[in-house]
Amino acid sequence: MIDDPTLEQEQEFAEEEASLIKLTFGPLIWAAHFVLSYGAAAVVCAKFPAAIAPLRWAIAGVTLPALAGILWLAWLAWRQWDFFDRDESHDRSGERRHEFLGQAAFLLTVPSFIGTVYTALPALFAGTCR
Amino acid sequence: MTADATGEATGDATRGHGRFGTDAPPPQGPFPPTEAMLSEPVPGDVARAQEDRLRRVWKTPEGWRYFSDVNNTSVGRWYCLTAFFFMLCAGVLALLMRLQLAVPGNDLLSADRFNQFFTLHGSAMMFLFAVPIFEAVSILILPALLGARDLPFPRLSAYGYWCFLIGGIFVMGSVLFDVAPRSGWFMYPPLATEDEGIGSDIWLLGLSFIEVASIAAAVELIVGVLKCRPPGMRVNLMPLYAWYVLVVGGMILFAFPPLIAGDLLFELERSLDWPFFDAARGGDPVLWQHLFWIFGHPEVYIVFLPSIALAAMIVPTAARRPILGYSWIVLSAVGTGFLSFGLWVHHMFTTGLPTLSLGFFSAASEAVVIPTGVQLFAFVATLMAGRVKMSLPMLWIAGALAIFTAGGLTGVMVAIAPFDWQVHDTYFIVAHLHYTLFGGMVFPVIGGVYYFFPVITGKELSNRLGRWAFWLIFAGFNLAFLPMHLTGLKGMPRRVFTYPGDLGLNWLNLVSTVASFVIAAGFAVFLWDLLRPKGSRRTPRNPYDAGTLEWSQSPEGETWGVRSIPYIHTRYPLWQQERILERMDAGRYYLPDAEAGQRETIITSVIDARPLQVLRLSGPTWVTMLAALFTGGTFILPTFKMYAPALICGVLAAMTVLYWLWTATARIPERETVDAGLGLKLPVYVSGSGSVGWWAMWITMLGDSTAFASLVFGVFFYWTARSDYPPPGSDHADPWLAGAALAAALLSWGLTLVARGLNRRRRRGARLALAAALPATMAAGAALFYALRLPGLDPVTHVYPASMWVLVVWAGAHLGLGLVMQGYCLAGLTFGRITPRHDAPMWNVSLYWHFLALTMLVTVATLAVVPRVM
Repeated sequence: MIDDPTLEQEQEFAEEEASLIKLTFGPLIWAAHFVLSYGAAAVVCAKFPAAIAPLRWAIAGVTLPALAGILWLAWLAWRQWDFFDRDESHDRSGERRHEFLGQAAFLLTVPSFIGTVYTALPALFAGTCR
Repeated sequence: MTADATGEATGDATRGHGRFGTDAPPPQGPFPPTEAMLSEPVPGDVARAQEDRLRRVWKTPEGWRYFSDVNNTSVGRWYCLTAFFFMLCAGVLALLMRLQLAVPGNDLLSADRFNQFFTLHGSAMMFLFAVPIFEAVSILILPALLGARDLPFPRLSAYGYWCFLIGGIFVMGSVLFDVAPRSGWFMYPPLATEDEGIGSDIWLLGLSFIEVASIAAAVELIVGVLKCRPPGMRVNLMPLYAWYVLVVGGMILFAFPPLIAGDLLFELERSLDWPFFDAARGGDPVLWQHLFWIFGHPEVYIVFLPSIALAAMIVPTAARRPILGYSWIVLSAVGTGFLSFGLWVHHMFTTGLPTLSLGFFSAASEAVVIPTGVQLFAFVATLMAGRVKMSLPMLWIAGALAIFTAGGLTGVMVAIAPFDWQVHDTYFIVAHLHYTLFGGMVFPVIGGVYYFFPVITGKELSNRLGRWAFWLIFAGFNLAFLPMHLTGLKGMPRRVFTYPGDLGLNWLNLVSTVASFVIAAGFAVFLWDLLRPKGSRRTPRNPYDAGTLEWSQSPEGETWGVRSIPYIHTRYPLWQQERILERMDAGRYYLPDAEAGQRETIITSVIDARPLQVLRLSGPTWVTMLAALFTGGTFILPTFKMYAPALICGVLAAMTVLYWLWTATARIPERETVDAGLGLKLPVYVSGSGSVGWWAMWITMLGDSTAFASLVFGVFFYWTARSDYPPPGSDHADPWLAGAALAAALLSWGLTLVARGLNRRRRRGARLALAAALPATMAAGAALFYALRLPGLDPVTHVYPASMWVLVVWAGAHLGLGLVMQGYCLAGLTFGRITPRHDAPMWNVSLYWHFLALTMLVTVATLAVVPRVM
């Protein structure tokens, strides 16, 4: 039966329960980075205003892995999107949905990336809490 | 294996079935249906008998019983009209304010009355119009968009509506007695906490009541989108409106609970003098601003996204082609939903927060422009690629895009903190927010009314009157609000009842006032068009030649929604699926019959919409209205310090809801499976993660946990904002009692799970385990109470004990609810309402207890451990 291409593909793209959640991973990284940066700034500026330099390094230390994570998600989603395979023969099947979720996840990593860079910018430029 | 109409393999419906907790017989029969199955005609006499049964089951109650209806079409209509009525009331307040501001030094309104008017104008437009109209329109059209007969919890919609009506009349009516809230729609303490009179209480209690109804609607709509789609409608085929509903429903779950938590703190300060916002006793008014705007900014997008979703339905119809960039619009909806939670502090740029913090929020405010802009570009691209037919709805959408873009541009300006410092609290902001709300909400909604009116009523609105209304409102709006940018830049502050005559503001204000009456004239035309008698002639089905499923609604005023629920494999089925209407009308598809004499709809899987269940829906009842009345009493009576009657109302409300659950939910069916049509046999009773009730509980508890997290956030906020939190030398909670409370709660949780397992495996002892869980729950509550009571922590003295007590109140109330649920399951087992096979309540209650166990863990840690570390 496995040489039936339709069935094979149906199995490969069988109901991805977690895939709707996967869409949100990019924005979730942005959100986590945002909360960490804001929380750290709030605590440091309230309790240890002199420690601005370590705070800026800490934000940089959170930003780089966050950006790397988003890029990694984007790469996975790009592969799932399968942009260069424009074979229309398996139109309207599970694969379409599979690729759609990849495309949407990929597109969502773009504003997540930009948003994360934007969040890091104030820490790059502001040399003081005040 | 054969090929179906779509070229897709037809397989067995059992595949992909296997969720935890589901003990139901798996779906049986072929799915998807083959072309041969769909081309087989339905015999005429069979079809007529089916139609009779459907008609009887879905009949709308007549006479005064009409108001016991719970069907989405009736409730949705009442909801829309009520929200529209409140909008008109709030609009009249705006006109009166404009009259007061027409000339300098005017004495038409006193300062106090002016304060009441602007407070109520903003509150009503937001809480009684903008958010409810989203729920109203969605309840009305979402089932039609999905080809469903109704949403999964019709009685919940009706309950939400009655709550909204009662709360809305209470809040709106207060202005007639000169006791309306008067501290601005955001109720900043200490102005609002210290305010004499009952205005602030009316705002807090009346609107909390409506916020609860909003969360109920969000739960209903999210489950509707995820589980009530027609067979075959995978997530990539959903109408864009459904995507937006999903995103906005999720946003409501995370945005409203912080406000509810804030309301709780606020009302505790007003009634019991717990000093959450009183700086003299360690409190901080800025906490309210945080909680309010964590709600308040996402709220703007909660209002904007569903309205722009209407545009996403109208634009492809006008362009006569499928939308361009479907995935891009999904991106923008989801992306906007997320980013909108990182903007709230841009309402607080002038509160003296560290500039570094301001920078984060300024950055996020600029970033949100990207997803917001993407969807507008997708609309424009669709229009450019299509052959546009400039219909009246499209005219409103075009106006919306123009106005919203202008509002967005000033938004980019005020997102820059230094610019905001200049224009904060001036008419520049008034102009900005009205441009975003008229463009992002009012215009698309009116366009949506013109567009969907034939679906809802079978009649069309007048093209000529609609154009008059459009040009009056469009011209009036720009004339009234464009000058306000200048009024604001020249320095006129908001929320002040008059202004001196020598600041160069006179003619600007006069122009705004005159133009506001042009807007009012436009609304009068629209109102007349909406309400005027339209004769008995029905418009043809699908007058705009649209491609989505809502236009398949049965003609001739049938109330069953669709004659049969279609198999969908395209985004625009009426354009792309041949003969679909004919087959739907013939009853060729799913659920063409109502053999059991009960209202039913199909439940499908979340991602690929495989049919899973035939869900029995509840019919007309008075119990929802009664429950709303008692709930209303519980919220409204405390305004007048009538605590005993309020308590009685609360008990009655709880009893009514229990009666409703007991008699109408998770009823054991007469047969395990029913024929859903096209050879498919589906189970009727599903428990565990496959059931809609379980999903509703999960989603509700997500919102509930957000409110709890907001209270915990408060503790950490006070710690960062104040050096005397906790005050030096203060007593702390008793660690042993707190630990005992946690142990008892975890024991009760475990016993609940054990009871579920024993019952499922048909073993003895399930009732015993539940009976033992009850005292454990009570012991947990008592131990938690005494953990604070014994060290003598008095919540009135300082914010530290108050913030600890509020956690205990929260956890205690949830323990009480958990106790009632355990009792409900015990009764269900005893009276045969729960059996080993039919145990949905046990699964839902276990799920609640998972969240409760987590709540207890965090509460006890925050009570007993965290302050000692601080």
